[in-house]
Amino acid sequence: MDYTIANIAPIVLLPFLAFVIGSFTAKKFPKFTGIMVCVAIFGSFLLSARIFADFVFNQYSADYYIHKTFTWFDLGPTFKLNLGIYIDQMSAMLLLMVSGVGFLIHLFATYYMGEDKRYARYMIYMSLFTAGMLGVALSDNLLSFFMFWEVMGFCSYSLIGFYYEREAPGDASMKAFMTTRIGDVFFLFGLLIVWNVTTQVNGQGSFTFVDLYNVIANGGFDGQMLLGIPLATFAGLCFFMGTIGKSAQFPLQIWLPDAMQGPTPTSALIHAATMVAAGVYLSLRVYPVLEAGHLLVFVSYIGAITAFGAATMALVQTDIKAVLAYSTISQLGFMVLGVGVGNYNAAFMHLITHAVFKACLFLSSGSVIHSLHDHHTGGHVQEMPRMGGLRKKMPYTAFVMVICSLAISGVPFFSGFVSKDRILGEALIMGLKNPVYSLPMVLGFVAALLTAFYMFRMIFLTFYGAPRDQELFDHCHTEKFSFNRNLPLLILSLFTLGLWYSGSLTGQGLVKFPGVENKEWFQTLIEKPDAHHLAKFKNYKSQAWGKVDVKPAIDFSKSHYDPTHGLSAEEAHHAHTLHLYGAVGSIFIAFLGIFLAYLMYIRKSLNPGWWATTFSGWYQTLKNKYYFDHFYIDVLIKKVLFKFQDFIAWVDMGIWDRIFIDGWANVNNFFSYWARKFDDVVVDTIGVDGTGAGVRFFNLVLRTLQSGKIQFYFVVIFLVMASYLLTLRVA
Amino acid sequence: MHGLLNYILWLPILGSLLILLIPKEKVNAIRWFTVAVTTVTFILCCILYVNFDQAVPGIQPFTAVSMPWIKSFNIYYKLGIDGISLPMVWINGLLFLICSFSSFDIKKMHKGYFSLLLMLQGSIFGVFMSLDFFLFYVFWEVMLLPMFFLIGIWGGDNREYAAIKFFLYTFFGSVLMLLAIIALYFAAEGRLGAETFDMVKLMGGHFADLKLSLFGMDLPFDKVFFAMLFVGFAIKVPIFPFHTWLPHAHVQAPTAVSVILAGVLLKMGTYGFLRISYPIFPQAGHYFGDFIAWLGLVNIIYGALCAMAQTDVKKLIAYSSVSHMGFVMLGIAAMTTEGMNGAVLQMFNHGLSTAMMFLLIGILYERSHHRWIVTPEGKKGFGGLYAQMPKYSIIFIIGLFASLGLPGLSGFISEALVFIGVFKPYPTIALLGLIGLVLGAAYLLWMFKRMFFGEIIDSCKEYADVNKREMFYMAPLCFLVIFLGIYPLPILDVMKTSVGKLVIDLAKFAP
Repeated sequence: MDYTIANIAPIVLLPFLAFVIGSFTAKKFPKFTGIMVCVAIFGSFLLSARIFADFVFNQYSADYYIHKTFTWFDLGPTFKLNLGIYIDQMSAMLLLMVSGVGFLIHLFATYYMGEDKRYARYMIYMSLFTAGMLGVALSDNLLSFFMFWEVMGFCSYSLIGFYYEREAPGDASMKAFMTTRIGDVFFLFGLLIVWNVTTQVNGQGSFTFVDLYNVIANGGFDGQMLLGIPLATFAGLCFFMGTIGKSAQFPLQIWLPDAMQGPTPTSALIHAATMVAAGVYLSLRVYPVLEAGHLLVFVSYIGAITAFGAATMALVQTDIKAVLAYSTISQLGFMVLGVGVGNYNAAFMHLITHAVFKACLFLSSGSVIHSLHDHHTGGHVQEMPRMGGLRKKMPYTAFVMVICSLAISGVPFFSGFVSKDRILGEALIMGLKNPVYSLPMVLGFVAALLTAFYMFRMIFLTFYGAPRDQELFDHCHTEKFSFNRNLPLLILSLFTLGLWYSGSLTGQGLVKFPGVENKEWFQTLIEKPDAHHLAKFKNYKSQAWGKVDVKPAIDFSKSHYDPTHGLSAEEAHHAHTLHLYGAVGSIFIAFLGIFLAYLMYIRKSLNPGWWATTFSGWYQTLKNKYYFDHFYIDVLIKKVLFKFQDFIAWVDMGIWDRIFIDGWANVNNFFSYWARKFDDVVVDTIGVDGTGAGVRFFNLVLRTLQSGKIQFYFVVIFLVMASYLLTLRVA
Repeated sequence: MHGLLNYILWLPILGSLLILLIPKEKVNAIRWFTVAVTTVTFILCCILYVNFDQAVPGIQPFTAVSMPWIKSFNIYYKLGIDGISLPMVWINGLLFLICSFSSFDIKKMHKGYFSLLLMLQGSIFGVFMSLDFFLFYVFWEVMLLPMFFLIGIWGGDNREYAAIKFFLYTFFGSVLMLLAIIALYFAAEGRLGAETFDMVKLMGGHFADLKLSLFGMDLPFDKVFFAMLFVGFAIKVPIFPFHTWLPHAHVQAPTAVSVILAGVLLKMGTYGFLRISYPIFPQAGHYFGDFIAWLGLVNIIYGALCAMAQTDVKKLIAYSSVSHMGFVMLGIAAMTTEGMNGAVLQMFNHGLSTAMMFLLIGILYERSHHRWIVTPEGKKGFGGLYAQMPKYSIIFIIGLFASLGLPGLSGFISEALVFIGVFKPYPTIALLGLIGLVLGAAYLLWMFKRMFFGEIIDSCKEYADVNKREMFYMAPLCFLVIFLGIYPLPILDVMKTSVGKLVIDLAKFAP
């Protein structure tokens, strides 16, 4: 099939156009706008599905990719900025997931937000967001990746703050934007490093992934230092900071729970399925940099700490969306752990499977919240202590929610098991091989146990037992099947089955494909861009404008897809055995977690209250999110930043402007005052006026003398002569 | 086409004189006459843009005007534009058109106000078009006069203090500039064969090894006068520590004057660097490069921190200008293709986004008659504006996010280009500049949060949403900010050849 920009770009342009048109029609035709957005995203889904089908059925190879660029602008011989489209197997899958899950969530949103007075506004923001995320998936370069990434950040900001009549969404949206912004500026710095290195190696700066891979394959980062840190490490850290911010990893995890202030479909789309996963996607895209920078251990620690820490916080939440929010952070931690232990493939697989089941869980929680109407406050109820027994009222929702909880807990035959087990298995291998990895390994397994526990705690508290708020329960209508409420949930829950991802449906692939043995399709298609794989980019030359750079599916040999990852037969066997132990362990852990939740909340043989009072110190710590919010907001921002900025502003206006600038004016005033005084007194009064006065005085004297009276003259002559004679006589 | 610049330059000045003939009771006639003049001027600017040949580096031949003015001193009336001045000329045309609409809100002495406004436009055109240093200086000084009266008469409560401060501060810089002009005039005789004020002739690093005997010391001529010009231009930009006139002037100035001040006037400073300081003294430019880059960084962070602390919206945006102009200085100091292009683009983009912000604050001020985010008594000055004025809020969001450099809006590309340009010579500064990006988002969003979210407070309950006239002049800016964010070529294309030439010329003198 012929790919051109014209037939790929509509994937992004359709939702974007829906946003543009919608912003004009939103006020007059809200219903039309909502439908138009859904249709646009469905169009993106069809286009993505076509590409996906082509990649997975026709081009069954990890080496196949489409790369097409155009020049955005060009500032002369040394600076040409190319943007373009890069689709490999990974982006093809991501496109399908984003547009598919996105469409279902939009469909659900027509139910959930249908009554809202700003329904159309909501839909167009969601549409813009979807365009941003699809743009991320299509980007062939870090710059447009970053731009779409920020557009998503903006939509996230607008949608978290959607209920702007209240204070809390305003705080939450700002917190979300600012926290991710910290990661984003580092990401931007990473871009600068890449531009500089590609300029050094190719003589022409570039942001494209293939050029980046090309530079790494040619050793462009080797031996370079920046501010005393090896350049690859620096770049890797910058990119990983982007991941930490966007995917809410430790220590920037604080924004995601607050982001639940947004409407629930937003939480499902942005803060569970796509945007937060884009952080992990970035790590996967720049994986060679992380590897070249020797950052994988660091990455695995961050992932494991996040997975574990967030899971513990999820244990004590009473708000149904908060449980899911912490669970999202924790699952993202698993993905990052997967990157860190080097299981690239499983990390991406978990990204996809998690997107499906977590979107479904959020939508189900939305379905629950939307049906629970508190007639006293007029609002909806999210607190689990007021729920209970709801499975009788909403059987469909309860059904899909249990299915998805099984998936996230890692119960066999569900998607979560397939992906999470592979991450944990790899962690186990790495942990036993290298003691550095033992802590991430242990934390990973404990987090998996906690996941099963808190998910079923949520299920039992919501759907089982007796209703704890009878009035609320009685007011809740019994669920009737409706296409925009239940259909999306059912479709999503269908895709939480493991067989889609493991390939057990057909033995190995989505279809039988000759030449590949014993490998599941997902593993075959997504290949880690490690040193071995990068070699193909070594002689890469970027193509001129207009040329489609489609890598033909090369004739792959078995060695190319060596399932043993280049291990010797003995090592491979050992690894396989460990993987098996890992699988058994994680199955055991999943059931243990569910069983504990059952004991605590159904059988009531363990009393949760007793645990909370006995370990009240820990309980409070978890309730207060390990005091991170307190530290960041009350200490760092209020005590340090605010004080500092007030000090600077005081220096600026109070000292510099008031004393020095105006002071300089005062000095001048002082001198001009005395200059005027001198002028007035010495020059004018004494000098000028004095001269005048002197003249006037002599004038008076002389005028008096020359009176013209002859008698007077005689008197004077007489007096002069007399005095002369007197002096003579005296002498 | 010849003489187009003459029309653009003298039309507003002629208009400002003709307004004086309209009887002062006919307020509407005065307003619409101003609108007519600025519209025609803007159309002429567009014609200029259309005829611009982007392949020509340096001065566009079709715009060149040259005739003797004062022959005995070799002073010429010499105009011309290149890719660096064209965006400035164009935005000057645009912003004055918008401002003449926005100035319908002026309450007193319409005749004088609109006359001075047109005078201001003409003199700013003159600064961006002059190729004779003497002529440049004349326009530079003439511009101060209408500005002084516009702030001093139509300003806020403390207007006289602000106007005098603005005038004296800028005048101080101008005097230093005048010294440099005269010194260059005489030095040219030895170096170029004849005394001249012609900028194009003076360019090219002719004064590097001249010595200046002062108080018995032999000082390097070019460094001394580069420093003098630096102070003159730095006051205008403004570069820390010469920035404190700006918050006063902005807060006191009427809306349209704030818009012009931030949108065009500040750019005269950076334009001076690009047109005069660097091309005439390239060696000194390289010598002071590190220093200017660090000052740019200080501007970015210091301005942002000061902005965070403000409780007056207009003052906050004024400080944000200080911060954003730091990016321009950083890009210029980097002296790379990317950095310089980024700097010139940032001059243009900042003109758009900051103009939006000041116009929006002006619109709000018309309703509230105060600008406190938090009043001096510690109460909320605004609250819940989002619910009260939804259309206004959407425009505000566009302006706000353009200011903080959201990709997809115009500010991002220029900031990114500056960072790309700065990274190579100054990686540390680029790294520290990131703090400015974070703080930039922080103060804007924090302001937005405090003013727009939450319940509508009592004093805000009567504010009307934007009316048709306000919508009419805000819409083009919104459009431009979004359009240039996605497709920056209309501006980048016209400037890149000239900027490229400047970078190459400067690179020849790199030590």
